Amino acid sequence: MFELLGVPPQVLLGQLLLGLINGSFYAVLSLGLAVIFGLLNIINFAHGALYMAGAFVAWMLLNYLGIGYWPALFVAPLIVGVFGVVIERTMLSRLYHLDHLYGLLLTFGLALIIQGLFRNYYGISGLPYQIPAVLSGGQNLGFMFLPNYRAWVVVASVLVCFATWFAIEKTRLGAYLRAATENPTLVGAFGVNVPLMVMLTYGFGVALAGFAGVLAAPIYSVNPTMGEQLIIVVFAVVVIGGMGSIMGAIVTGYMLGIVEGLTRVFYPEGSAVVIFVIMAIVLMIKPEGLFGRTA
Amino acid sequence: MTEPLSNVLLKVQDLRGWYDESHVLHGIDFEVRQGEVVTLLGRNGAGKTSTLLAIMGILAKRAGSITFNGTEMISLQPRQIARLGMALCPEERGIFSSLSVEENLMLPPRIADGGLSVERIYDLFPNLYERRKSSQGTKLSGGEQQMLAIARILRTGAKFLLLDEPTEGLAPVIVQQIGHTIKALKDEGFTIVLVEQNFRFAASVADRHYVVDQGKVVDMIPNDQLEENAQKLHDYLGV
Amino acid sequence: MTKNLVISTAVFAAMTAAPALAQDISVKLGVLNDRSGVYADLSGEGSVVAARMAVEDFKAAENGMNVEIISADHQNKPDIGSNITRQWYDVDGVNAILDVPTSSVALAVADITAENNGVFLISGAGSTALTREQCRPTSVHWTYDTASLANGTGAALTNAGGKKWFFMTADYAFGHSLEENTSAVVEANGGEVVGQVNVPFPNQDFSSFLLQAQGSGADVIGLANAGGDTVNSIKQASEFGITQAGQKLAALLMFTNDVHALGVQTAQGLSLTEAFYWDQNDETRAWSDRFMEAHGSMPNMVQAGVYSSTMAYLAAVKELGSAEDGKAIVDKMKAMDIEDPLFGKVTVRADGRALHDMYLFEVKTPDESTGEWDLYKEISSISGEEAFLPMLEECDFSKK
Repeated sequence: MFELLGVPPQVLLGQLLLGLINGSFYAVLSLGLAVIFGLLNIINFAHGALYMAGAFVAWMLLNYLGIGYWPALFVAPLIVGVFGVVIERTMLSRLYHLDHLYGLLLTFGLALIIQGLFRNYYGISGLPYQIPAVLSGGQNLGFMFLPNYRAWVVVASVLVCFATWFAIEKTRLGAYLRAATENPTLVGAFGVNVPLMVMLTYGFGVALAGFAGVLAAPIYSVNPTMGEQLIIVVFAVVVIGGMGSIMGAIVTGYMLGIVEGLTRVFYPEGSAVVIFVIMAIVLMIKPEGLFGRTA
Repeated sequence: MTEPLSNVLLKVQDLRGWYDESHVLHGIDFEVRQGEVVTLLGRNGAGKTSTLLAIMGILAKRAGSITFNGTEMISLQPRQIARLGMALCPEERGIFSSLSVEENLMLPPRIADGGLSVERIYDLFPNLYERRKSSQGTKLSGGEQQMLAIARILRTGAKFLLLDEPTEGLAPVIVQQIGHTIKALKDEGFTIVLVEQNFRFAASVADRHYVVDQGKVVDMIPNDQLEENAQKLHDYLGV
Repeated sequence: MTKNLVISTAVFAAMTAAPALAQDISVKLGVLNDRSGVYADLSGEGSVVAARMAVEDFKAAENGMNVEIISADHQNKPDIGSNITRQWYDVDGVNAILDVPTSSVALAVADITAENNGVFLISGAGSTALTREQCRPTSVHWTYDTASLANGTGAALTNAGGKKWFFMTADYAFGHSLEENTSAVVEANGGEVVGQVNVPFPNQDFSSFLLQAQGSGADVIGLANAGGDTVNSIKQASEFGITQAGQKLAALLMFTNDVHALGVQTAQGLSLTEAFYWDQNDETRAWSDRFMEAHGSMPNMVQAGVYSSTMAYLAAVKELGSAEDGKAIVDKMKAMDIEDPLFGKVTVRADGRALHDMYLFEVKTPDESTGEWDLYKEISSISGEEAFLPMLEECDFSKK
């Protein structure tokens, strides 16, 4: 039985698995950001707030309409997505001809407003949301107790990430999307309704955030600040992976979750900054990101 | 030279256009008949490419009149213009690097019946068939990219093509091949507006030539009267 | 003539008004707390409601007192809190400042209050410095402090057999001092600290740290954190089956509203110390029901503390007949025997520390809980003298 720096291997395995679970959230969130940045050139600072909104919508569906977790997993992202479409149509679409900075400022302001509204109506303590009955309990893996729900989080996020990757890289619709990312004018001149595509893409990107929010509701406290804390890390993930790179966002999300998990064992105090340290290093060595294409 | 044209498909009248504040088109007038190949000749910066972009709606700030098949297009969006049966092969070719060759080819949506089948396209461009699985469209050679840029708009059912300098920077043997292709397309019933610097090439494929200078059409020379107008053309083009 | 008429009118007006004026003691109370941030549920509008209830219950108007309540949001920032405090004393004529969660803000307010000879009735803040390093003759620290929580939870759990402790500590000054206080109590009661981990603050996912705590073989996992961090650690401890496997969780700073947010399903079995719980006796229940009606949620100890400290303050003002001299009012409060409906017998010590019983609660299981707010069962109570730290010599204002 070997030990690594005084840490027994079963502990290490457990932490790797936990890292993978956190990475699942990073992956789904950074994927949404990457999709949006790719086509819209908007750095969507409202992503964290919409993730939070996803969790809250799930809570509202349950408490006001009696709609449980499973339907909420589809309905809540849909609602968040529609909300995103409204934002895109009424506000973002006016900014496309301007610098990145304007979109960033607008979405940052939106994030504050959305957060403020939820804070005003639901307070700051957070709201309870139970793990669905089918997924309560867990498995003893020998090296750790794995709650069934966490296992589901990994499965769900892998499925969603794969489906999104497949849709973008392997389908006709995805080809439109990739082409429009490179040259929207020409794609429009082929007769494709690019503004509609942009609108739906934003809707889909934020729906991914809403989906992550529903996934998070049973394990993290459903409160107005839950997105604010996560989003900065997710931005770092996107920068490390390469802005706009789909595969980059997914792989980096899982990878950094694991790196963070390991840091928690060896140097817990550093776990909050390790991702930013990696970001700084990547920016110095490969500014376009690990999976970014050079322009 | 001023005899009325019959069967006019595209009619451009007093077309003016701007990039932001800079005024580039100062009143373009020309007509294209069904089944014709027409070139726009002129020096660099004369406004040939801008004219194509204005027709396609990409040069958004424009005024005057462009009627296609009887429809006024001056205030339409590019995607609406495309749906009327018009397709552009842009100057920089516009091959997408994140799409494979096949995806590039299949990208423009079908807007009408009667486009060429994929088999027929591979017939016309055998190189593309060999390279169709290539992962990145931009990994093709310049000539292959040019063929791909033309090929992909043949599938869509659009019968009116705007080709912007398809021979630019290509080897003579490929220029020749593109010339054959254009003639074949004319035979298939396509109508083509060609922007060209290469006067020799233009003469080998076109029915009529419009001369563009400083944002205006200054002359029209039918291909069969090129000989007698050679000196005039020299003056226009400064060759 | 005209001049005389004016004067006589003024004299007449003064005469008719005079009897009322002679009796009317005008008092202005300022509730300063977090109205939008992390402590908004802990204090916020609920504290204003509590202060208003105190003014009603004291029957201020019948007692010839004209009491006005204003409130402001300090956003948990000491500079903002200081500015509001100064303006309240200098411009608005505020006599006493209430509540003030967030210790850094409270410490600033305590100083400004002393300079202006106002009164500071502290309920929301928990730092022991308020009656020790930065004790002031015009401060009354009413509800709780971190030492009393550590004493309550640490001593009781250790004595109940929880000898081995593991701390999950929020990696900043507050977390470390909470851990330090509690470790001392644990060791004094014959327990030992088997490990600790510094958790970055704030944090979402505690599963790694919980696993480390689980692996340590400790009997009790002490949560030296606050707010959302505490809520998330408890939620995830339940998910990973930590409590079900026999380890106890001890929240070192937690309030009723946090437990309510978690729900008993998740929080069951958790130990925590509070100065007040709504369902303790008929009086607390009656008062809490009224609070519920006015505010829409049950009160926590901070809000109850605002109510009780305001009642005591108004009684002292009434006896003195004026709200002007802050130190005199606080001295009066220190001299009074206070029998409070919510906190029971309370004495305000010479250093400004209010002494009253503290209670160790355990969160009920879903089977035991009969309603949304039926959260705690009382395990034991600790007298004020035991729960709070002894007075420092230099803070004994009775000798100054």
